[in-house]
Amino acid sequence: MPPTITPLPVLRQCTLRPRATILRPSNAVIGVKRPACRSFADDKSKDLPKAESGESGPNMQQQEHVSEEAAKMAKIQGGQGPDIEGQGTPVQEILKNEKDTRQTAPKVMKEQAKQEGNATKPGTRPFSTLARRRAEVTPTTSSPGDAALDSSMLPTAEQQARHDAAVDASSNLQPAPEESKGHKFPLPTMPLPSNLRKDYRYDPVVNQVTNLLMQDGKKSVAQRNMATILTILRTAPAPTYSEARPLLPGAPPASHLPLNPTLYLTLAVDSVAPLLRIRSQRGAAGGGVALQIPVPLGLRQRRRQAFEWILDAAVKRKSRGSGNDMFAQKVAEELIAVIEGRSSVWEKRQGVHRLGTAARANLNHRAVTGRR
Amino acid sequence: MASLACPRCLRRSLQDLETTATAIRPQRAAFSTSPSLSANPPKKKAVVAKPSTRQGSALRLTKNTRATNTRPPAVGERKELRKKVVLSNTNALEVLGLNDLSKENLSSDALHALEAKVMGFGDTSVDRLRALKAFKPTQGWNLFRRPASLVRKETTHLLGDIEWVEAGQGSRTVRKVLYGERGSGKSVLQLQALAMASLKGWFVIHIPEAMDLTIAHTSYQPVTTPGGPTRYAQAHFACKLLRNIRDANNHLLSNLRISGEHDIPGQLKPGASLLGLVDVGVKEPARAWPVWQILWEELTLPSAQSKGGPRPPIMFTMDGIDHIMRLSAYLNAEAQPIHAHDLLLPRHFIELLSGRETLPNGGMVLGAVSESNRAASHTLDHALARNEAIQNELTPPAWDPWVKYDKNVQDAMEGVGVQRLQGLSKEEARGIMEYYARSGLIRKAVTSGLISEAWTLAGGGIIGEIEKGTVKARV
Repeated sequence: MPPTITPLPVLRQCTLRPRATILRPSNAVIGVKRPACRSFADDKSKDLPKAESGESGPNMQQQEHVSEEAAKMAKIQGGQGPDIEGQGTPVQEILKNEKDTRQTAPKVMKEQAKQEGNATKPGTRPFSTLARRRAEVTPTTSSPGDAALDSSMLPTAEQQARHDAAVDASSNLQPAPEESKGHKFPLPTMPLPSNLRKDYRYDPVVNQVTNLLMQDGKKSVAQRNMATILTILRTAPAPTYSEARPLLPGAPPASHLPLNPTLYLTLAVDSVAPLLRIRSQRGAAGGGVALQIPVPLGLRQRRRQAFEWILDAAVKRKSRGSGNDMFAQKVAEELIAVIEGRSSVWEKRQGVHRLGTAARANLNHRAVTGRR
Repeated sequence: MASLACPRCLRRSLQDLETTATAIRPQRAAFSTSPSLSANPPKKKAVVAKPSTRQGSALRLTKNTRATNTRPPAVGERKELRKKVVLSNTNALEVLGLNDLSKENLSSDALHALEAKVMGFGDTSVDRLRALKAFKPTQGWNLFRRPASLVRKETTHLLGDIEWVEAGQGSRTVRKVLYGERGSGKSVLQLQALAMASLKGWFVIHIPEAMDLTIAHTSYQPVTTPGGPTRYAQAHFACKLLRNIRDANNHLLSNLRISGEHDIPGQLKPGASLLGLVDVGVKEPARAWPVWQILWEELTLPSAQSKGGPRPPIMFTMDGIDHIMRLSAYLNAEAQPIHAHDLLLPRHFIELLSGRETLPNGGMVLGAVSESNRAASHTLDHALARNEAIQNELTPPAWDPWVKYDKNVQDAMEGVGVQRLQGLSKEEARGIMEYYARSGLIRKAVTSGLISEAWTLAGGGIIGEIEKGTVKARV
């Protein structure tokens, strides 16, 4: 068996290297010419070092431009490099900068410039989403007892082939490459995916919701509750979407949800997440009345608000059984109710949005804009 | 209750014990001879009292009032919901090509070829195991389409034991205790043993929780033996056990006839089937223990002597055996704790396990230690370590002279075989994880890298931990 560590490459890869010798007047050697540059320890005199005639001084040996270098390389190798001479400034740029040219430009170019100037009106879209929304709400017609899967759950031939290739690639792990001796297993590809790091190993929604479930700082209890919630979502019958309460666009068919409980949870939380909150600014409206100002929320803030509403509704539920898992049971039932559109959380969200619509006029109030 | 005879000597009627309050009928004075046919007395007009301003001494706020528009849960309803065993998940995918354990593949060679594969339980097996209460709510049966279990090395060994007993034509008995880490599959291995024995036509008896026998939650009654110590019978537990046995072994009991002469309670004819005998015990808790004794006498008649058909071998299993290897929570007349071996039903199991009582038609006595609800029994721990060492031909650890051991347990565990369950092998882990994936519960590709990771994180393939880390994970 060859030795695992050969000394030579180790020496080459050694990080401690002797520093390059700096030639100073103090250690000048006769016959060795000092370069015309100052080192960091030299005297800071006014007169800059000058290169002798025929020699190259400081800042004279600049690196070439990338394309120039590529062109040279191509010339050496007998190919065609990038065209250096032919590269000009684009017409649009010239038009943008020069006023006179803009006036004398052809009509076509003028129109094009005008069209680019004004973007589409905010808040309008040139297409309708009504048909898509309808298609999402339409319930799937597969019976739960049916052993055969509905066709949407089956992979296409192309997906299957890709999956098989991935499995083959990952199950037949490649042996460690020659140069990385000393590793029993191949090194992972860097950068590591986020779920391989210990602080981000769970799904972000699961992580946040677990923390929101926590009481008295007992995280392990919250984690157990989370696991129970996901198990209940796995085993409960598939939900039926309601037409009145559309979920997020792009929601999968309802029959897919139980086998992907994380998605189930995410869909429930994100669907009832409010877009904004109402901030009451005291005394801004005059006469001691608070001015209501809608404030947009970030992604985590929206999820937090949604899950707090879900928790409020879940706590009010009546538990039917006994034991440790009843809290988780109630939360899971509430999540299912959200997906099925039965939950009271939907009304809360609607209420906030209605208030926000009414209060958007206040955004022009001088207390908000700061203008007199 | 009115039917208590004497509160001191524990001789009380068993009729009304452990019945719910709703079952108690209103009693009528015994000395009246006149029939109570008279009409109800006319109702007096109720005097409507003025609602007083103060109602009770407690401070009443609007918050305090509870809306009770729903029916309160009945007695035991909430616990029943918690302990419910669900054996199917309609969301899980049907695993194609999942074969059942059946008579055809129940030979050591056939099962050896099926090692590291998952095998389902047929409908009959499921019904019998369910009747025996062998499925537990904590075991994750509710995640899969139908009950199935992994055939592991130890399963094949157990089948080998069963075959060895059958080959002996009734002269052989296997006595064993399963132990090992929490989640290592002791209870499920016991369940597999019950399923295999049942398929082989054995008589199966299972006590799912030994703890129920010793924590003083069920009635007990002293039974004096002539010239011997006092023992205690647990009539209501025996009644429940008889019901489980009847449901699980119905096909055997209806074919076997009573052959001996017994002082049979009730109106049973001498040649009646054993099913009728068991029914007597199921109906009346007071007769459950005598019926158990007669049933046992009948089952252990040597097949050559019995007139009521050849008797099958017996598989008697008990889970959580550590609870009967110590003092029970029951008290005797002197208010001293009763040893669990003085309770007749656990004693019966111990007699069989230790080999003091034999099974003339052959059989298997299989105990399993519980680790998730472990009763402290240091004598049992030491005995297990000793027996394991003796089995492996190592020097057994000596009994510590400075520690007080339980003599009953020491004697009972003398010469009992032990089997320590450890983690799965990598192949077995692959088998079970592929089954998870094909049930749709793992969404990743099952690669050797993933299997190694799960196997390692599960403490070297502890199957319960593998399930926790893959199927029940909060990914």
